[in-house]
Amino acid sequence: MFRLKNKALAAVTITALMSLGSATAWADGLADIRKAGVLKVGVFEDFPPFSSVGGDMSLKGYDIDVAHALADALKVKLDLVGVTGQNRIPYLTGHRVDVLMSVGKNAEREKVIAFTQAYAPYYIAVIGPKAMAVKEAADLAGKSIAVNRGTLEDTSLTAAAPKSADIRRFDNYSAVIQAFLSGQTQLMVVGNDVGAQVLAKRTDIAPEQKFQLLSSPDHLAVDKGEPALTTALDDAIGAMSKDGALDKISQKWLGKRLDPKDLVDQ
Amino acid sequence: MSGLDFGWLPGAAGDLARGVTTTMMLIVVVTAFGTVLSVAGAAARRSRSRLLRQAVASYVEVIRNTPFLVQLFFIFFGLPSLGLRLGNVVAAVIAMTLNMAAYGIEVVRAGLDAVPRGQWEGGTALGLSRYRVFVSVVLPQALRVIFPALSSQIIIIMLESAVVSQIAVRDLTYEADMLQARTFRAFETYLVVTLIYLGLATLMRRAMQAGAYRWILGGRP
Amino acid sequence: MDEFSTADIVVNLLLAVRWTLVLTAVAFAGGGGVGLAVLIARIDRRPWLSRAAKAYIGLFQGTPLLLQLFVMFFGLPLLGLEIEPWMAATLGLTFYASAYLAEIWRGGVEALPKGQWEAAASLGLHYVTRLRLVILPQALRLTLPPAVGFLVQLVKATAVTSIIGFTELMKTADAINNATFEPFTVYGMVAVIYFALCFPLTTYARHLEGAPSR
Repeated sequence: MFRLKNKALAAVTITALMSLGSATAWADGLADIRKAGVLKVGVFEDFPPFSSVGGDMSLKGYDIDVAHALADALKVKLDLVGVTGQNRIPYLTGHRVDVLMSVGKNAEREKVIAFTQAYAPYYIAVIGPKAMAVKEAADLAGKSIAVNRGTLEDTSLTAAAPKSADIRRFDNYSAVIQAFLSGQTQLMVVGNDVGAQVLAKRTDIAPEQKFQLLSSPDHLAVDKGEPALTTALDDAIGAMSKDGALDKISQKWLGKRLDPKDLVDQ
Repeated sequence: MSGLDFGWLPGAAGDLARGVTTTMMLIVVVTAFGTVLSVAGAAARRSRSRLLRQAVASYVEVIRNTPFLVQLFFIFFGLPSLGLRLGNVVAAVIAMTLNMAAYGIEVVRAGLDAVPRGQWEGGTALGLSRYRVFVSVVLPQALRVIFPALSSQIIIIMLESAVVSQIAVRDLTYEADMLQARTFRAFETYLVVTLIYLGLATLMRRAMQAGAYRWILGGRP
Repeated sequence: MDEFSTADIVVNLLLAVRWTLVLTAVAFAGGGGVGLAVLIARIDRRPWLSRAAKAYIGLFQGTPLLLQLFVMFFGLPLLGLEIEPWMAATLGLTFYASAYLAEIWRGGVEALPKGQWEAAASLGLHYVTRLRLVILPQALRLTLPPAVGFLVQLVKATAVTSIIGFTELMKTADAINNATFEPFTVYGMVAVIYFALCFPLTTYARHLEGAPSR
């Protein structure tokens, strides 16, 4: 027992010292990635069909396939890092990850992080049970709505919803979906494709998409101080959309062809 | 990382004050329910019904040997499958109350045990009912033992309550989460809010100590 | 998306228990080490040192663990470290444990009869030697029941590290729950697993209390 504790402690100390060393050099992210041979990509772990765990606890989805392709393009290995809406920007600026997937672009964020071109369509939609009449933002008055806090869903819902709407902000997508499915909130605001996964699973509640709040295609986000890395990733996305790789991924996970119009920010 | 930035703080005072209010309101409600449940549970532990005694004992063990966060998620996300749907604030209050009482019952029991048996016998010899003896004779004496332990328990539950932000209760931690998403100054935000919790815990401890001397122990500290 | 069978859920949860146990063990061992240092400072006769240790204990016992973890997590870059859930979880719980263990042990030191100090001093032992050979061994033995009781608290506390993204039992449950949409089953099983970890410790602590060693 005591020896085991000592070993664990030693392991912690050694790893701590190692990460101390690696944190010292961050001159050029792209060169560092090439040298280390690893691209660290921040992805959600509860965000189907973009990225979620399967029965073997490994991550799969649209974002995961794109992440693999990015690592291949840079000729390095892929290291997937699970993130939440709350910690992912600090992860990026703290260099815990090199790039984030599934980031919607807005002016506030552009002050802090850099974006590549969009790689996936994403509509933010209001989802609720068939029986409930909700057609537009004004109908949200007095309704309870679950949303992932600090995300674009949150910002756009908060801006669009009337004051009397009861917006419940949760920490991750898992809690948002769970709160809606268990009837803790009447509606939820998520991406329409995230919603589609839930809709397919729960025929008993018969949830449906009520209306779209905003189209906000997903971008890769990179630290502002890494122009070389941003360009390299932007080029990789450009190449993938030219050679049809993105379209294949879209058909696989979203069940439809990629429409270039869907990748334009509003 | 650039230097620390607290420039957001003045603009956040309103949000933080709202969070403090919610947290304190939760504590007041939970203290009231939790105290009643603790006394009732302690009485049940001394009941003549074996079944009741064992039921209370099992409840205490289950709560004390599982994490608060798991209890909270089970009540909020899990119970609706059984048709029992509780709002987030109600779920938080129930989880906190169940927690406080699981420790409170033991505290009250220890307090009651500290009152000599002779007090019970003396009371019943005067022709008072068991209930009357408990309320008028035993409980006031037991409170001297109970109060300090129960007030630490209240502070512990206040500190544990930070996780109710996870089911979207707008407490102080929830406000901190919202603020850091807006300011991108996560470290500074959580540091300030941690210190606010420390201030609240200190104030509560002082207030309860003063209350104890005023009403229970008599005289001045 | 793959389907989870009930067996998958159980197996994945049980695999995740490893990390709960490793985290508990590392935090208890690390917390014991740091806690001993805090204890020695706390019972020191120099008021500034004793007061600093008291403030340290008060800080960790007077603030929510979740907030301690957040500050640690987002503060790691300030220490020149990478922002990393397991690092924040390990350091956070180690400091947390050190404060509680130091306070528990202080109770043990104060419960020792004054004669122990005097007897040790009359043997001509140096302060440090007195602590090491006479006072600390007795205080640690005397406070074994509350220390084991705190171990239960620590096992439960590891669940909070799921919120900063450390993949232990609770975090795994959240992920599985999101794929299965069966919160009653998943969190129910998680509660049973935590109970199976904690209840034997609680019983052991109670057993020790019943038969205090001298």
